[in-house]
Amino acid sequence: MSDVLRVENLTVTVPSLEGAVPAVDDISFTIPTGTKVALVGESGSGKSLTAFSIMRLVDHPVKIQTGKIWLGDREISSLTDKEFRTIRGAEIAMIYQDPMSTLNPIMRVGRQIIESIQLYSDVSTKAARIRALELLNDVGILEPEKSLNSYPFEMSGGMLQRSVIAMALSGTPKLLIADEATTALDVTTQARVLDLVDKLAIERNLSVLLITHDLGVAAQFADEVMVMYDGRIVEKGSVHQIFTRPMHPYTRALLDSRCDDTVDYSQPIKSIPGQPPRPALRGDKCSFAARCSHVQENCLSSTPTLIDYGNTSAACFHSEKIISMSEVI
Amino acid sequence: MRALDGVTFSVEQGSTLALVGESGSGKTTAARMVLGLDTPDTGSVAILGKRLESLKSEELRVLRRSIQVVQQDPYSQLNRRHSVQRIIEGPLIAFGETDASIRKAKAIELLDAVGLERAYLNRRPHELSGGQCQRVAIARALIIEPKILVLDEAVSALDVSIRAQVLNLLRSLQRERSLTYLFITHDLGVAKYMADDIAVMFRGKIMEKGNREDIFKNSAHHYTRNLISSVPRTEPPIQRKQTYDIQALPTINENDACSYRSRCSVGLQQAKCQTESVPLTSGSASHAWLCHFPLENGMK
Amino acid sequence: MTFEALKQKKRMKVKLRGSASLILLLGTLAIFLLANVLSPYGPNDIGVGDHFAPPSGAHLFGTDNLGRDLLSRILFGGRITVLIALGATSIALILGSAWGILAGIRGGWIDEFLMRTADALMAVPLILFALFCISALGSSVASLILVAGILLSPSTARMARSAVKAELASPYVVSAVASGFSKVRLVWNEVMVNIAPQLLVQISINAASAVMLEATLSFVGFGLQPPNASLGTLILQGYAQIYNSIWFVLFPVITVMMTILVFNNYGEQLRLSLDSKRSSS
Repeated sequence: MSDVLRVENLTVTVPSLEGAVPAVDDISFTIPTGTKVALVGESGSGKSLTAFSIMRLVDHPVKIQTGKIWLGDREISSLTDKEFRTIRGAEIAMIYQDPMSTLNPIMRVGRQIIESIQLYSDVSTKAARIRALELLNDVGILEPEKSLNSYPFEMSGGMLQRSVIAMALSGTPKLLIADEATTALDVTTQARVLDLVDKLAIERNLSVLLITHDLGVAAQFADEVMVMYDGRIVEKGSVHQIFTRPMHPYTRALLDSRCDDTVDYSQPIKSIPGQPPRPALRGDKCSFAARCSHVQENCLSSTPTLIDYGNTSAACFHSEKIISMSEVI
Repeated sequence: MRALDGVTFSVEQGSTLALVGESGSGKTTAARMVLGLDTPDTGSVAILGKRLESLKSEELRVLRRSIQVVQQDPYSQLNRRHSVQRIIEGPLIAFGETDASIRKAKAIELLDAVGLERAYLNRRPHELSGGQCQRVAIARALIIEPKILVLDEAVSALDVSIRAQVLNLLRSLQRERSLTYLFITHDLGVAKYMADDIAVMFRGKIMEKGNREDIFKNSAHHYTRNLISSVPRTEPPIQRKQTYDIQALPTINENDACSYRSRCSVGLQQAKCQTESVPLTSGSASHAWLCHFPLENGMK
Repeated sequence: MTFEALKQKKRMKVKLRGSASLILLLGTLAIFLLANVLSPYGPNDIGVGDHFAPPSGAHLFGTDNLGRDLLSRILFGGRITVLIALGATSIALILGSAWGILAGIRGGWIDEFLMRTADALMAVPLILFALFCISALGSSVASLILVAGILLSPSTARMARSAVKAELASPYVVSAVASGFSKVRLVWNEVMVNIAPQLLVQISINAASAVMLEATLSFVGFGLQPPNASLGTLILQGYAQIYNSIWFVLFPVITVMMTILVFNNYGEQLRLSLDSKRSSS
C-alpha cells in the first residue's frame, strides 16, 4: 500500500452544554508515502484535535467516537493502548508549537535526546551519544557538542524546535506530525526550520502532516492541502489547486482575507463576517452558510459532503460558481 | 545590554508608522517608552510636542488622554472581573468622569463604533471571542478621544478571517477620527497594509526606514530584504525547491560594528562591517538605512 | 479545544461545595453569636446542676466543677473567641493589606523595608511576642484582639504584596496605567477586584489562626479572668480537672477544633473555586 496514513470516518466529540458534540466530524483522508500534507484551519476548527486523535493523545472527556486509522497496511486504531505505545514516537512522531511541551526544563538537551534514542533502539549510551550528535548536525545545529550539553533555557526558540525535531527523528518515524510547529518562531527562523523539515522529508522518505493556521506556510511547504472548518474537511486537493482555483467558498474567502506582502493596501481586505463557530450540535445544513456570501436555500436544509472533482474535492453545493469566480480573478 | 540603541523616529499626525521586527528587536520596548511606561537612559520622547521626561507624573498622566494602547493578548489586556461596560468606561473613570449616565452613553457610542451590539455591555471578557475582546480594547482606548493609538501586536493573536475584520476597522476608525497610529508588529504584510511609513528594527536598532515603496520595492538593507523574502507567500512555488537553507541562524556577534553582520551574506566578507560604525545613510527624503553596502535598489 | 460543559460541571461542583462551606461557616458564627438566645442557662450561674455531671438531657455537655452548665459556658465562651477572631482578622486585613499593597505598588526601598519588617515580625516566636504584649497591656478582650491582629498582619501583608505584584505585571494593568489611572485609582478601581478573592481566602485562614491563638494564650494563662471565659480558658479549666471529668475538657477542645476546621474549610473551598475560575478563563 502506498499510503503511509489512512484515516476513515474519524469522529471526535467534546463535551458541551448540549452533551457530547463533534469537534471532528466524520473526516477521512490519506497521506501518500513521502508527501507533505497541510491541514489548514482557524482556531476551533478541529485541526489539532485530529492530530491528537491520530496519536491517541486524547483523554476523557474528549472521546474518539468512530474512526479507523491505518499506518501503512496496519490498522492502528484497534491496537490496545500498550501496543500503541510502540508506535507513538517510533513510527509516528509529533512536534508541537511549544517545544517545552516535549522537553524537560531541568535536564540537559543531550541527555533527553540520548534517552529518546535508547527508548527506540537497544544501544549503549556511548553509541546513542554519537547518534545524538549526528541528529543534531542533521537538524542544522552548528555546534552539536555544545547543544548536547545545554539546558533548554539556554537555547533560543528555533534551537529548541530543532532539538525537538532531532528527538522526533530518533525513532526513525515514517510520519511526522507538526502541530503549528513554526508558529511561535520568527519568520527568518521559521523559513529555515520549514526548509529543514522539507529536506529531512526528502532524505528520509518521511511523510509530514503539517497543521497550521498560516496559509503562507501551507502554500510554501505542502504538496497537498486540506482545509478544515467546524470539524470537517471542506476542501482538499493539491496545493496548486487549492491556492489558485479554490472550490469551496471558505477557502476562497480565506485567501481573500489574507494580509501578506502582496496585499493591495489601497482598498479594504475582504474579510469574512461573523465568528468561527465553536463545536456544537449542527443541524442539517452547511456550517459555513452563516458567513458565506454564496449561500442558497439548499445550503440551509442539507449538509454538503465532499464532492470529487478529480484532483480536488470540496464540500459545497455551489463549487462551480466559486470556480468561475476564481477564473475571473 | 541595550534593548534600544540610538533609535530615532517620528510619526506625522494622522499617519501610521509601523515598527517591524522579530523577537528581541526592541519594538515593544520602544512602545513602552512612547507610552511613558519606561524612561530611556538617554534621548527623549516627545508626544504632541511635549517631552515626556520633562513632565511631572501628574502632567504625564494628563498627557495620557492623548495616547492610548491596544495590546496583543485579547483576554489578559482586559480586566477579567469587570464587565465590558466597566472596561470601556475605564479611561473616563481614570480622568474623573463621575456622571455614570454620561459614561454609559459614551460606552454605547464606542461599542457601536467598533461594531458590537449594546447587548455586550454586561458581558465579561471570558464570554467573548478573541476578535470581540480586541474590539472592546479598541473601544476602551478610543473613549477619551486620544490623538495617538499604540497598537502593540494588536492583531497577532487573531485568526486570519478575524484579523482582516479588525484591520479594516482600525483603518476606518483612523480615517473617521484622524488618529495617529504607532503600529508594532512582526508581520510585514500587516505593516504594509496599515502603515504609511515603516521602520525595520533589529537588535534594538532601526536598520531601515521609509515608506511602503522604499521598504518593499527599494529595500536597501540586507536584513529588510531577508525579512521580506522569509515571509511565506500564499502562492505555492511553481517548482520544488532546489536549495535548502537548513542551518540554524548564526548567533549575533556583539562586537561587530553592524549587529546584522554575522547573518549578512555581504557583511561577512567585509572587514568594514566588523570595525567601522555604520552611519545613517539617506537615499531620499523618506528613505534611510544603516548599512555600509546597501542593496542597489535603495541607491536608485 | 473547548471543554465548556465539563468546566461548567466542575464549576457547579466547586460552587456547591463552596456554598455548603459558607453555610457551615455562617451557621457556626450564628450559633456562637446567638449564645444568649440558645443557652439553656446563664454561663456563670453556679449550681444549676451537680458538680462534674456527665452529659444528660438537662445538661447536654454536662457540668463543671462549680455545677455550671458546660454547654452554656461553651456557647458564651465561643462567642468571645469568635469576636476576638473576627476583631483580630479585621485588624490583620486592614493593617496587613495596606502594608502589603503599599510595598507592592511602591517597590524599591519602601518595599524592601516593609517586607524585612514583616520577616522580622514573623521570625519572633508567636507565643513569646504575644506573652510580652499581654503582660504589657493586661489581658482583656481588646488586648487579645489587638495582639492577635498584629501577629496575623505580616503574613497577610506578604500575601497581599505578592498578589498585587502579580496583578501589576499583567497586561490589563499596563492598559490601565497607559489610559491614565493614578496609582491610587489603579489599585482601588482595577486591581482590588482581582485580589479581593485571595484576600478573602487569607481572612478565613487568619480567622482560624486567631481562634487557635486565643485558645493557646488562654491556655497558658493569659486569657480572660474568671468568671468570664473564652474557649481557651475553658480548656485550661477543664484540663485542671481532667481526673474528675473527661467531658469538662473534651467538649471545649472539640469546639475549638470544629471552629478551626469550619474556617479552614471555607478558605480551602474558596481557594479551589478561585483556581477553577482561573483555569477556565
